[in-house]
Amino acid sequence: MIQLLQSIGYNRWILHALVLLPLAGVVPVLLGDERSAKRMALAVTTLELLLSVGLWWALDPAQAGMQLVSSAPWIPRWGISYRVGLDGISLFMVLLTTVMMPLSVLASWTSITRRERAFYALMLTLLTGLIGVFLALDLFLFYVFFEVMLIPMYFIIGVWGGANRLYAAIKFFIYTMAGSLLMLVAIVVMVWKISAVTGTLSFSYEHLLQNAGSVGSAAPWLFAAFALAFAIKVPIFPLHTWLPDAHVEAPTAGSVLLAAIMLKIGTYGFLRFAVPFFPQVALSPGVSRLIVILAVTGVVYGALVAMVQPDIKKLVAYSSVSHLGFVMLGIWGVTLISVQGALMVMISHGISTGALFLLIGMIYERRHTRLIDDYGGIARVVPIFSLILTVVALSSIGLPGLNGFVGEFLVLLGSFGTYPWATGIATTGVIFAAAYLLWALQRMIFNRLDKPDNERLLDLTPRELVVLVPLLAGIVWLGLYPGPVLRRMEPASRRFVQTVQAAATTTTTGADMVSLEKGPR
Amino acid sequence: MIQLDTSTPQGVTMALLPEVLLSGWTLIVLLVASWRHGRPEDSRLAGWLSFAGIAVSLAGVAWLWINSATPVGLAQMVALDSFRYAAAALILVCAGGSILLSLGYLEREDLLAPEYYPLLLLGTCGMLFLAGAEDLIVLFLGLEVMSVAIYVLAGYNRASASSAEAALKYFLIGAFASGFLLYGIALVYGATGSTNLSLIGAQLAGGKLSLMAALGLGLLLIGFGFKVAAVPFHMWAPDVYDGAPTPVTAFMATGVKAAAFVAMVRVLLEGFPSAPALWQPVVAGLAIASMVVGNLIALAQRTLKRMLAYSSIAHAGYLLVAVWPGTRLGSGAVLLYLAAYGLTTLASFGFLAALGRGGEREVTFDDVAGLAASRPWVALGLSVCMLSLLGFPGTFGFIGKWYILSASVAEGQIILPVVLVVTSVISAGYYLPVIMSMYMKPARVEGAYQGFRLSPSAAGAIMISVVAVLLFGFWPGGALEAAVRSAATLTQTGVPVAHQ
Repeated sequence: MIQLLQSIGYNRWILHALVLLPLAGVVPVLLGDERSAKRMALAVTTLELLLSVGLWWALDPAQAGMQLVSSAPWIPRWGISYRVGLDGISLFMVLLTTVMMPLSVLASWTSITRRERAFYALMLTLLTGLIGVFLALDLFLFYVFFEVMLIPMYFIIGVWGGANRLYAAIKFFIYTMAGSLLMLVAIVVMVWKISAVTGTLSFSYEHLLQNAGSVGSAAPWLFAAFALAFAIKVPIFPLHTWLPDAHVEAPTAGSVLLAAIMLKIGTYGFLRFAVPFFPQVALSPGVSRLIVILAVTGVVYGALVAMVQPDIKKLVAYSSVSHLGFVMLGIWGVTLISVQGALMVMISHGISTGALFLLIGMIYERRHTRLIDDYGGIARVVPIFSLILTVVALSSIGLPGLNGFVGEFLVLLGSFGTYPWATGIATTGVIFAAAYLLWALQRMIFNRLDKPDNERLLDLTPRELVVLVPLLAGIVWLGLYPGPVLRRMEPASRRFVQTVQAAATTTTTGADMVSLEKGPR
Repeated sequence: MIQLDTSTPQGVTMALLPEVLLSGWTLIVLLVASWRHGRPEDSRLAGWLSFAGIAVSLAGVAWLWINSATPVGLAQMVALDSFRYAAAALILVCAGGSILLSLGYLEREDLLAPEYYPLLLLGTCGMLFLAGAEDLIVLFLGLEVMSVAIYVLAGYNRASASSAEAALKYFLIGAFASGFLLYGIALVYGATGSTNLSLIGAQLAGGKLSLMAALGLGLLLIGFGFKVAAVPFHMWAPDVYDGAPTPVTAFMATGVKAAAFVAMVRVLLEGFPSAPALWQPVVAGLAIASMVVGNLIALAQRTLKRMLAYSSIAHAGYLLVAVWPGTRLGSGAVLLYLAAYGLTTLASFGFLAALGRGGEREVTFDDVAGLAASRPWVALGLSVCMLSLLGFPGTFGFIGKWYILSASVAEGQIILPVVLVVTSVISAGYYLPVIMSMYMKPARVEGAYQGFRLSPSAAGAIMISVVAVLLFGFWPGGALEAAVRSAATLTQTGVPVAHQ
């Protein structure tokens, strides 16, 4: 496979192709007629998926650094270039994106009936933005992708969303923008401070990473600005209030992409930028205590609030707050196990929550209600749907053997040495997750079939099965055999842990070093 | 590379080539307009003739710029550097755009009085002098030529009470501002014995500013504060912008602002580079007040035109952040942001002029509801403008804002950039609802935009502006380079500002 890829020069063009292909796809989508828009979009996103699969082999799992790096000058006077690259962390974010995207297009097949051209054009633009964010190795470029992505999502929520869509759209936009603009100031300050020391004006990621130490006393402020931008995106409690609105009001595809991918940009940002740039600040006792407390609060709070939601979509939205709390805990655990766990949670939350939103969208299309109480006993009417919903819910709960378990277990295992108390409390999040999801399952698909409206529900169509089966396969595969995935993310995670620990020597403890050496194979 | 000896008649004519060409052309337009007027064709003829005049003057600027004309020795009355040429080109583009917007508008609103285009050209002449002045007297003359023309233009719609109110208000406040400026010039002359900016700079170099010079500087700043509509000297701006005919508002918001800012930068950098400690706090204060007040009040507006008027106050605040560093980087940022803001504002007012029917003042956010469904390209264009004003990546407005951030951060300033971005977030609260209304709300009545028509000339101007906004948003290299090079030619004879 590697030879085949090399023979077509895959490594040289693939990243550019991934960024540009969706954008190029916008043109035929807009020029074609309304009916063919979805077919075109599906074709483009599927091609994107097929192209991206090669990355699995193209990335050398033994190397920790950035690979497939290529760059082109953009604004040379200011040291800005179009610079992209990939490592074991971004690989899975990119693959998650390219997998979820065709599925989201397919899931919108019948639910989006108005202005289809515009919808699919926005989806493709969004794809470019998402891929770009995960590949960008230039902070200016990263910022541009980070912001540009907002526009398509703003429209997807605002035009095709639910009843309260306008409010949700503008809230989503302004929240994200508020954080990211302060990050822009931080980027500019950082670049100028570093250029004053090194004499090179450059926005290149590696350059900034190497010289991040020379920002001096500004580091806490810069970290705060980066952290705020990403914390809103994650979202960390108490900055999460945009999330339930946006997730609930967005159309199915929007919710899926928001939950599965866009939330990960926040945690990815912490892993890639905020923590490695300013490890001393990030791991200083005050900051790490604050983040861990907020993360654990998010885990418990998200789960408790999810438990009382009458609306199944809102329930899933709050469960995201809970799951993302695990990721933050894992990142701040800074052991190889906990960081790999955080990455695994990011992937499996993407798959499981994406699947949950897809399932909710499917049943909503049939029944036009998302209230749990409006269902009941539908397992008898739609057995396949119910079976899949159960499996996905179990994976989201973290049942051993399914994907959710691996990540959360690793996070808890890896963070225990660093924060025993916080980890102990976070464990209750898993129990609460079982409570709210199983309870919701019971009320929706079991119990008595007492609503006449539910008796005529149709089970999943072949198209819908095509959407769900790949996700189910992922759920089982990652749950039973996560080895290949863990192996590919290991060098990058190890490098993250080592550099961060080395820079923040004051916080290094014996326990971390031990767990570092015992990384899972 | 040519050298012009401005002590000879020939040299000074060449140095003033754009102004000479434009003034001469204005007289021709005036003759034509007084000979044939009253019918729509005549108005159109005068309009296109004026547009040609702008183009001829632009050719003059280009000639000076390409040959990078420099003075022999010290520049006397008018600057001969790329900073002036860049500013002049920008002003002429704004004027040309305003003419294109006016063509269809005047016919539609039946405003066919002949004096419109000659006044517009005269105002442009004034702007060119203002932006190129190397001497405070020339600066004042330019300012007055420009202002008088604009006073009349603001009241050009004689049938409208608000237009008359706008003219009177602008005139009174403008006269007041001129008074401050003139008094400031007098004091500076008293303190230094010169009205030439470079000589003033040399005179003031090294030593501490005398009380008289400091007072003069303060009065100059107040005068400029009025002209650029910075808070707290902004009270006239919303009413005047709101009351004037929309193409005139576009001209005021772009051209006047550009000329006044360029002159301000030149006065501060060439005349007072030795006293940043005196003017930097004032500029910073004005900037913060303008950004905060402009954005907050814009948030409360219901009509688009008034919202744009208040937002232009906020943009004056952003520009003041670029003036603050007093460095070449800062001056480059001023030029670039003026270009970004000018193009975007021109297009925005163009759309607004087309949306209103004799009553653009009444166009509310809800009046553009559902525009995207019936006029997708218009909605797209206006959205791009709103995003550019918001400073969103991918648009020229973002490049401008980012450059301003860099310029002030490079001087170790943090408060101004932070205020800038925080107030930018506030501005999302009024720019986004425009987009939201166009795309996400249904039209209020069936066929609401049936009668919507953009005249071809306005459509052309808007299209070029919007495309430029996007193009420079993605490939800003050329524009950045031009701004940086132009700013680098500002002669500084005094003590360089800190950290240069």
